[in-house]
Amino acid sequence: MKDKYLSSLRTQLEEFQASKSEINDIVTDYEQLYEDAKSTGKTDEEVWNMLGDPKNAAYELIDTLKLKKEKSVRNKIIAITPFLSLIIFFVLGFYFELWNPGWMVFLLIPVTSIALHTRLKDGIVALSPFISVIAYLILGWGFDLWHPAWLVFLLIPMVSILLHTKLKEVFVAISPFVSVIVFILLGTYYNLWNPGWLVFLSIPMLGILNDKKVWKVIIYEAAFVISILFYLYMGYTYGEWRYGALGFALPVIVGIIFGDMHFVWDNRLEGRERSKAIFMVSVIVVSTAIFLGLGFALDGWAYAWQAFLFIPMVAIIAFDKVRFTALMPFIAVILFFSLGYFFDLFYISWLAFLLIPIVAIIENT
Amino acid sequence: MNTQFKKGILEMCILSIIRNHDMYGFEVIEKLSSEIDVNENTVYPILRRLTGQGLFDTYVENTNIGAPRKYYKITDVGIEKLDEYEGEWRTFLKGVFKLLGGIENEG
Repeated sequence: MKDKYLSSLRTQLEEFQASKSEINDIVTDYEQLYEDAKSTGKTDEEVWNMLGDPKNAAYELIDTLKLKKEKSVRNKIIAITPFLSLIIFFVLGFYFELWNPGWMVFLLIPVTSIALHTRLKDGIVALSPFISVIAYLILGWGFDLWHPAWLVFLLIPMVSILLHTKLKEVFVAISPFVSVIVFILLGTYYNLWNPGWLVFLSIPMLGILNDKKVWKVIIYEAAFVISILFYLYMGYTYGEWRYGALGFALPVIVGIIFGDMHFVWDNRLEGRERSKAIFMVSVIVVSTAIFLGLGFALDGWAYAWQAFLFIPMVAIIAFDKVRFTALMPFIAVILFFSLGYFFDLFYISWLAFLLIPIVAIIENT
Repeated sequence: MNTQFKKGILEMCILSIIRNHDMYGFEVIEKLSSEIDVNENTVYPILRRLTGQGLFDTYVENTNIGAPRKYYKITDVGIEKLDEYEGEWRTFLKGVFKLLGGIENEG
């Protein structure tokens, strides 16, 4: 275990192109830390947790290293990708008549830049719009599934949540998106809009699981289950969905009795955290409303999904240092898609993706 | 809490505990984590960074249990820096408590 830890640390430091003497110095220090920790009777696993993941440790050490060639090698690769993309693009175009979707190779430019210049977690989040666009276009052009393929764009906030939320809260945080996906798929393919909407009840049902009092959890869950069964029974047996809906008064009453009807706001959050949560929930509600509004009123499903891109954008603007580099993947997707969709400029609108490395270079120099 | 802010506080705490007596890496981690919730991942990088800035000197001492240990010793520059941080921190805390007290009175 110790050797594995140290060799993983060494590999990561070597990837940063740190000098040999520095790597040896750090690895020796960590070996000491490891042994000292073990000598207090800790298991390997405990020591591993205590010292932190070796990869992360290496990242924490970056600013103490004298990096030699790392940047220049990365920059060379990034500098080459536009030319490579151009060559591949022409080969695909002239020899195989694949101008479209051959232009997609230009996505390699921002993708390479993101992959080489960001840490793993941020990189995955930044890449998610590209993956979603590509998946969307393949499903759209290839299988004419513009609807419900737009659901892949929900992956963008989902990926971000999965990587940035504590395990305990992940299910609650992700449940609205999963519910939307399940709801739309059930509705679209099986015309089960009703009672398909019941999946949204999974959001509070999962939320309550975080409550520490077991009996309270059981009462809440039982109230939900009873009301759902009642609703389905009334609906399917007597066709009385509306009377069946009265059953949902039960969990509401339980909520009022416990005095925490506001549990979805997570009453443990206070001050800024609380207003942040309220703010983000509002953004999600507004985005969803815009999406549904445009979709139902103007049949704009094909473009309305872009409203969901505002969720991570607003989060970046409101809670992070405003960096255009972080926002550009989203802006590029909007520019690319809107120019293409509304003006039929797909053959040229991919140029929007070139804005990402350009902005990154301008902002970071 | 803002990571940068937390790192600054940790730097000050590490300077402060090593000021009292020289310590080896693991000792610092143990001492810190006994008092505050600290991501151990950040302690060693801070030790290394501060050593790089000349706030600590290091020397190696043999032990009974195995490989020799690297000890960290605060330098004069380190002491100066610590005094500076401590002064800033106490003024800051004073202000914060004053404000918090104000909130309590209003509430």
